[in-house]
Formats: sequence, C-alpha cells, structure tokens
Amino acid sequence: MLSRSSLSRNAPRALNVGRRAMASAANPAFQYDVSEAAGVKVANREVAGPTGTIALVAKAGSRYQPFPGFSDALEQFAFKSTLKRSALRITREVELLGGEISSSHSRENIVLRAKFLSNDLPYFTELLAEVASQTKFPDHELNELVSKLLKYKQQAIFSNPENIAIDAAHSVAFHRGLGSQITPTETTPFEKYLSADAVAEYAQSAYAKSNVALVASGPNAADVNKWVGQFFKDLPSGGASSQYKVQPSEATKYYGGQQRLSSKAGNAVVIAFHGSSAFGTAGYKPEASVLAALLGGESTIKWSPGFSLLSQATQGFSSLRVSTKNHAYSDAGLFTVTLSGKADQVGAASKNVVDVLKKAAAGQVASEEIKKATALAKFRALESVQTLETGLEATGSGLVHGSKPYQIGEVAKALENVTEQQVKEAAKSFLSGKATVISVGDVFQLPYAEDLGLTV
Amino acid sequence: MSAPSITNFIVKRPWLKRWMTPLSQWYTDAAGYRRLGLKYDHQPFNPLQFMRRLGRFDDLIPEETPVVQDALKRLPPKEAYDRVFRIRRAFQCSISHTLLPPAEQTKPDEDVEYLSPIIREIEKEVKEREDLDTLVVRR
Repeated sequence: MLSRSSLSRNAPRALNVGRRAMASAANPAFQYDVSEAAGVKVANREVAGPTGTIALVAKAGSRYQPFPGFSDALEQFAFKSTLKRSALRITREVELLGGEISSSHSRENIVLRAKFLSNDLPYFTELLAEVASQTKFPDHELNELVSKLLKYKQQAIFSNPENIAIDAAHSVAFHRGLGSQITPTETTPFEKYLSADAVAEYAQSAYAKSNVALVASGPNAADVNKWVGQFFKDLPSGGASSQYKVQPSEATKYYGGQQRLSSKAGNAVVIAFHGSSAFGTAGYKPEASVLAALLGGESTIKWSPGFSLLSQATQGFSSLRVSTKNHAYSDAGLFTVTLSGKADQVGAASKNVVDVLKKAAAGQVASEEIKKATALAKFRALESVQTLETGLEATGSGLVHGSKPYQIGEVAKALENVTEQQVKEAAKSFLSGKATVISVGDVFQLPYAEDLGLTV
Repeated sequence: MSAPSITNFIVKRPWLKRWMTPLSQWYTDAAGYRRLGLKYDHQPFNPLQFMRRLGRFDDLIPEETPVVQDALKRLPPKEAYDRVFRIRRAFQCSISHTLLPPAEQTKPDEDVEYLSPIIREIEKEVKEREDLDTLVVRR
C-alpha cells in the first residue's frame, strides 16, 4: 500500500525524473554521428544489442518523380534481380542469415531497410549497395511482379476513405510536387509512362551519391563507414540528364481549396491548414505539433476519451474516428484533422472541429491542457526518433535535404519553449488563412467548407 | 527440354566446325521452313515440318510447357506480333500448298534465335529455384 505521504513525496520526484531524462537527451547514444564515406553521407549511432539496422534513404519520393507511379515502381524494384544475383537468391540468402529487408516510400523519400544480426553488417551493406547500383530492371519483372504488387497496394490504400482524403488534401493544398499522389489511384493512367527502362533511368539519378544517405544503428556502427566506403564506391555520382531523372525540388506553395469525391469506400472529411515543416528547416513551427496534440482526437489511454479537445467534443458520436496530425516535409507542412465514420456523424463532428479551433484561437483553453499537449507533442517527437521505423527516415531525410539531422535535444527544447500565446496565434492563423477541405464518401450528407465557416 | 546435342562437341573443334557448317546450312535450308517465312525458333508450329523433323527432337519447343508459356509472355510486343504473323502466314501457305515468293522467305541471316534465349533464362531460374529449395546448409 502506498501511504498518502509517500505519494506526495514521490510526485515531485516523478516530475524530476522526467526533467533529468531530458537533460540526458544529449546522451550520445541517441545522437547520430554524421560523416561521409566514398562521397555518401552516413549517419550512425552506437546502440548496444545483438541486432543492427541499416537504411538507405534516397530523395526520390513521389514529390520528385518525373511521372506518376515511378516512386512506387522503384520501391517495388528494390531487392529484385541484380546483375550479380537473382531476386530469389537474395531472398533465400537473407532468410539463411536471419535478416529482414523491406522498402517503402513517402512523399519525399524512398527508404530501403535491412535489419540483421550485428555480425552480418558487411553482407547487408553490400546488398544495399548492390540494389542501389546494380539492379537489372528487366521488363518481365515489371510486368510479372512490380505492376501486380502495385495493383494490390493501390487496392489496399484506396479502400480506406481516410487515405483517399489525405491524398486529395495534399494535392489540393500543394498542387504539383508535394501534392502529387503518393501512390497512383486505380483510375490514374500511369501505365503509359511506366517502362522498365524508364524506371532504370530514374533509379540512376535516384540512387546517385549526392541523392542518398545511409543511416545505421547498431552495436558496431563504427564499422559502417568502412563498409560503406568499400561497397558504395561504384554508386553513380549523378544520373544522365534525361526526362526520367529525379525532378528538381521547387519551393512548395500552399494553395488551399475544396474537393468533394463520391466514394463507396466510406466517409471521411479532412480539414487541413498550412502547417509546420520538418525540424531543422526554415518553416519549422513547434507550436503546430503542440496544437495537433491539443486538438488530438485519438486517446493515448485505453477506454478513456483522453484530454484532447476534439475527443472531448466528439464524445457523443459512437462510430467516429478523429485524428489530428501535422504532416511535416522539408519545406512545407500540412496540418490535418481527419474524421471518418458514418456520414451524418462525420458531418456534425466537422462543425465541432471548427468550433474547437475557434475556442483555441480565442484563448479559451486552460493552460493545464496546453501543458499536457506540450508533453504529448514532446513524447511523440522524441519517440518517433527513438523508434527505428520512423527515426531512420527522419534522420536520412534531414541529411539528403541538406537541413540539420534530427537532434533530440533541440527538438525537445523547441517544444518546451512553446507558449500559450504561440498556440493561440497558430490557431488564429489557421482560421484566417485559406483552409483545405476534402469530403470523401456520401457527399450528399457531407458538409461544404462554407457550411463549416472556413474560407477556401 | 534440352536433349543431348553434339553442338558443343563440334564447336570446340575448329576443323570439325569448318566441315560441319556448310553441311548444317544446307540441311537447315533443305528443311524448308524458311520458304514458309518461319524462323528456327518456331519450327514446331510449322505443320509440314513438324512431322518430318520429329526425329530431331532437340528442335522441338512444345508450346504447352509452363516454361515456354512464360517465355512467350516475356517476348517484346513487336516480336510477339511478328511471330504470330509468321505462323499464320505459314499456316495459309500450308493449307494452299504454296511457298512464299522468294522475297518474303526468311533469309539465313534473319533466321536467328529470338525465343530460345528467353527459354534458357527461365530454365536457369527454374533450376536455381530447385537448387535453393533442396539446399542443405552445413555450418
């Protein structure tokens, strides 16, 4: 049993522990050492343990693709046949070694990942180099494997109305570049652009030395430089200039607007604003992530609506899912509130979103809540760096986009310094600026931006 | 698929190759498929030659095996179209018991492998899969 006195004695200590953990954020174990080997940027961190991870981050996501579908195709072509071995042999060898390989892409990056027992570091570094520089791109693999996988991926992604809405929100908000579809929809005529030779040319410039970064985490991270220097020598230093090369990044401009898409997949509304870009860039506004945590909608605690304003406001709706997120990119960000569920509830709840935002803009939110939101935002930012899945891409993305790599201590400090006034200002600027409103599903019932009182 | 062949034996011996090359050229020309506008790679689809050449079983590329089906799918679109065109033209010739005019007949230098390389590639893939499936790891 805990006595009352021991509780009261421990409570301030619990707070102190939190503070001390922050101080140790400068702990070298969580910082990446950045260096360069054979002309390739390498970030590594030493983490004790029996396994290691290495990822290749290439600045070749859907934002930089010359034609629709290229990033997807290049992502699927990872770990397929190379000049040295077949795709099957790669798979079987990795199985024998007990590793795990995967590839994914976001709007800005293509990420090739390998996790392995730490002794196998040279093998997997060599494998990544081989995939980047010696993939064969035969026609039949495009027809027999890649295009089929792409079809399944499209079905999986676009059967969810939220994904359709988020994708539409990006294209309405940013038009080209960042706004291009992350994966072409099933009705997009992308096949006419796609051929194995074209993807091969895209790969040449996507995996050029200046366009990639390697991020490693594991017990022998110090060896990474040595192996990268040895295996990544042969990476092309720049692709031939053709129409299929990685597109230069133009500064992203926020437009805003409204789009309504009829769909039988379900109902979703996305209300989006011009948010904050990634950490280390000029447009980084930490208050956006605090506001995202404040509006929230998803609880971090089971069986409880949580403190966030939106989950409190939408408690009455039984089959409604609300979430708020700041999608941060290298030179822009999109602050989205996503609602999905039954059409009438989504419609009614989207009015609540605007009401809550007005409340935040008027400063009618208790400072207690903002403190909680700051803590949550800080936790999310730090956790996403510590977790390998997201941390590797965030670090690599910082390197290839020429900004600072993610530094835990600074992120935490920036979030701690957010004031109530800043949060209020952010909410105000959202309401006064142009909004992006996307309705997907039963558009007969879903609201227009004017119904919500937003300007588009 | 692959039948015992003496090709390698001959190619390794230049003197024998010098002897055999004209002989084989004469033989292939006499086989007559070129006069129907066909290429060596689709010999089995020439109904006239099909029966006559049964004895040379290393030529037979039965279309019904999964390997050849895969190979046919992997042909570039233009090649696949031309192949069907040649087979249909030869079939018409066969029905009407005629030969193509000399200008349209297949020239010896046009008579190159176009399907066999793909078949060999697929056979290699199949063999690799079998080898890896029956792999024994000794540590």
